[in-house]
Amino acid sequence: MRISKIKESLINTNYLFTFMALLFVMGISTLLSESFLSGDNLITILRQASVLMILSSGLTAVILTGGIDLSVNNTAALVGCIVAQLLLSNINIIVVIIIGLLIGLVVGLFNGFLVGVLQLPPFVATYGSNMVVLGLATIVMQGAVIYDLPRNFTPIGVGYLGPIPIPIIISALLIIVIAIILQKTTLGRNIYMLGSNPAAALYSGQKTVLITLQAYALSGLTAALGGIVMTARLNAADANMGNSYGLQIVAAVVMGGTSLLGGEGGIFGTVIGAIILTIISNIMNLIGINSYLQSLAVGLVIIITVWFDIFSRKQREQRKASIS
Amino acid sequence: MEETLLQVKGLTKSFPGVVALSDVDFTLKAGEVHVLVGENGAGKSTLAKCILGVYKPDSGQMYLNNEPVSFSDPKDALDHGIAAVYQELTMVPYLNAPQNIFLNREPEYKFTKIINYKKMEQEAKSFLDILGCQDIDLKTPVLKFDVATQQMIEIAKALSFNPKIIIFDEATASLSERETELLFLQINKLRQKGLGIIYVSHRMQEYHKIGDRITILRDGKFIRTIQNGELSDDALVNLMVGRDISQVYVRTPNVYEGECLRVEELSDKKGRVHSCSLTLNKGEVVGIAGLVGSGRTELARMIFGIDKPRSGKIVLNGTDITGIPPNLAVKMGLGLLPEDRKRFGLALKASLAWNIVAVGLKIFFPSGFISERKNIEIANKYIKLLNIHPPDVRRIVRQLSGGNQQKVVISKWLAAKSTVMIFDEPTRGIDVGAKMEIYSLIDNLATQGNSILMISSELSEVVGMSDRIYIMKDGYIIDHYKRGEKTEEEIGKLMVLGKLC
Repeated sequence: MRISKIKESLINTNYLFTFMALLFVMGISTLLSESFLSGDNLITILRQASVLMILSSGLTAVILTGGIDLSVNNTAALVGCIVAQLLLSNINIIVVIIIGLLIGLVVGLFNGFLVGVLQLPPFVATYGSNMVVLGLATIVMQGAVIYDLPRNFTPIGVGYLGPIPIPIIISALLIIVIAIILQKTTLGRNIYMLGSNPAAALYSGQKTVLITLQAYALSGLTAALGGIVMTARLNAADANMGNSYGLQIVAAVVMGGTSLLGGEGGIFGTVIGAIILTIISNIMNLIGINSYLQSLAVGLVIIITVWFDIFSRKQREQRKASIS
Repeated sequence: MEETLLQVKGLTKSFPGVVALSDVDFTLKAGEVHVLVGENGAGKSTLAKCILGVYKPDSGQMYLNNEPVSFSDPKDALDHGIAAVYQELTMVPYLNAPQNIFLNREPEYKFTKIINYKKMEQEAKSFLDILGCQDIDLKTPVLKFDVATQQMIEIAKALSFNPKIIIFDEATASLSERETELLFLQINKLRQKGLGIIYVSHRMQEYHKIGDRITILRDGKFIRTIQNGELSDDALVNLMVGRDISQVYVRTPNVYEGECLRVEELSDKKGRVHSCSLTLNKGEVVGIAGLVGSGRTELARMIFGIDKPRSGKIVLNGTDITGIPPNLAVKMGLGLLPEDRKRFGLALKASLAWNIVAVGLKIFFPSGFISERKNIEIANKYIKLLNIHPPDVRRIVRQLSGGNQQKVVISKWLAAKSTVMIFDEPTRGIDVGAKMEIYSLIDNLATQGNSILMISSELSEVVGMSDRIYIMKDGYIIDHYKRGEKTEEEIGKLMVLGKLC
């Protein structure tokens, strides 16, 4: 009885195939390397995944509204660069972090303004802001790279609380907060409803512009947090440090079963998506595959996971349609 | 003696868990229009789809010209001379009429395989001429045409396959009454040419105008085939619904206490609405009768705040609400049941529970935190109150029938405690049973002191339900009458001609 209920809820959830993809990737990895399943390595994977999770968590909300935010990686870079510069001028670390988060918030609100108020297509608007923030980061750094950040700042990226790395704790807390926002608040509900049918949201008297602004602001905030953790982990900052993330941030969300059309999916899928992407590069490092091939493999896994997800969704729809 | 074109014997089709058709017999003669009627889910469309080869029947046999046949897919049926015109138009909006008619089978020059546009246009024109549509411009992309014209092009496309049988599946669902008349004229021509026509429809008043014979289905079962005119409307509805329906439009006498909505000299920016004025009292049902395109929907959108007016004034319960956005209008108790529920009324991917609380979210959860249990409780209350089927809060709204979807939209507004509601085409595309439920709901709402502004192109409905009627034509409100002051025919004339003679 209980098991069948679990089975049913698994089949009905969008996470089923994401979860199976995770098990599949883990299974293959275990076969390829003995050290993969060791506790140390699993912690390493989570620590590596944490920045990606943070960056893609706010983006999940944006994609749920039916929008997209392509400016996340360079917003993170801009915030990282400004934070590093401020830390070098001996400003209090708490103040610096708050300033960093505010910058992310401003970028997010700017995106929300472009999409919600000016009604620009999100893809183009946020691609534009991505270039703008990259330009700003370059101006801030004047082409230089900053190394050796203050000792009281780097633990955010490399420190431990007991046996657990601090970035993992930060990302876990953030994911809980975002899960609560999306699942348990009226804002979250409005985000889903807006993504499901924007016209119906307007005709239901919802404040569609405000909801859009809030979703993009959230994405800006988490981008900033991701940038701060990234900078602390690298113990360095440079204007191009967002490059390595690029569209991986979007891929993590989409692999997690969140529909690019909006209205379907959620934060836990994104967490699994981020972990899968990290495992792939982890296992290839463990068995010593060169980095050219890594990119190829990551690309293929993204395509296969999304294909599986779409395929399973169609199957479910058909089965339900034939019942009703 | 007319020859029998198509015969269906003992057709049965079931889907997992449901028997959609059981042992259905059906015959179609050359030169006849055979109407298929029944409530939603009665099996009309399933029967049409079995004939078209979309579904494969479980058992039963089909005979075409007395030869046993079975079709593997719609293309196969088409090759055997059976074409279909659907409710949803299947055209490419940016292509013109000839391109749409010959989509994927464009006539080509022999060797170069380049499309022969001249030949394509000539042939398209010949099919459009058959339909009496000489004035359709062949260069204009079809999206520039109104729905009725597009429907004609769709029929021309069906004709271009040289069919012996055409199936119209709810083809008039998006047409106004005038456009429907035009369509019927063309169907008559096709009948005279000896084609067999199967006509699937919801609209009662259409059966007599168009049908030679009528077959009634109920719950997937064949009930009866009758000659047109053999039974009265009431008897026909009783057979369709399977229970006695003595009166369709029931109104409880009511006292109106005080004005709740006043619209003064309202005009829009696009020139579709011109200085319209109307009033609505508490506990009153006021109808706006007008053709599609008369500015009714634009007027409703302005009152609700979706579009901003150019001039004029809207007063709700004594407060001037001119030009305020929908979210504020909703807060003040205004509700709108939009004309197209799938596009504007529902989050189709979301569950019943989510849709029902969508408008009243702030009222139910003032802290901003949602309690799943309370949400389900509220949803269940309205599912029960409005008799929404299936009564499953988790059910995705897309999977409900049209009537039940409409009830979900209504419950959104009831749950949000709206007191002044605009119902734009509340029963479009809904079966008879659900229609009556919605009528009695409207009556109940009025009795409880709510006010309803009802827009409809279904004349008998707007005349039957309204305490007062405004008549709208070409963007103007040309007149208004009290209940019973004018007959249905008179209102209809005013609606179309703007005058009585």
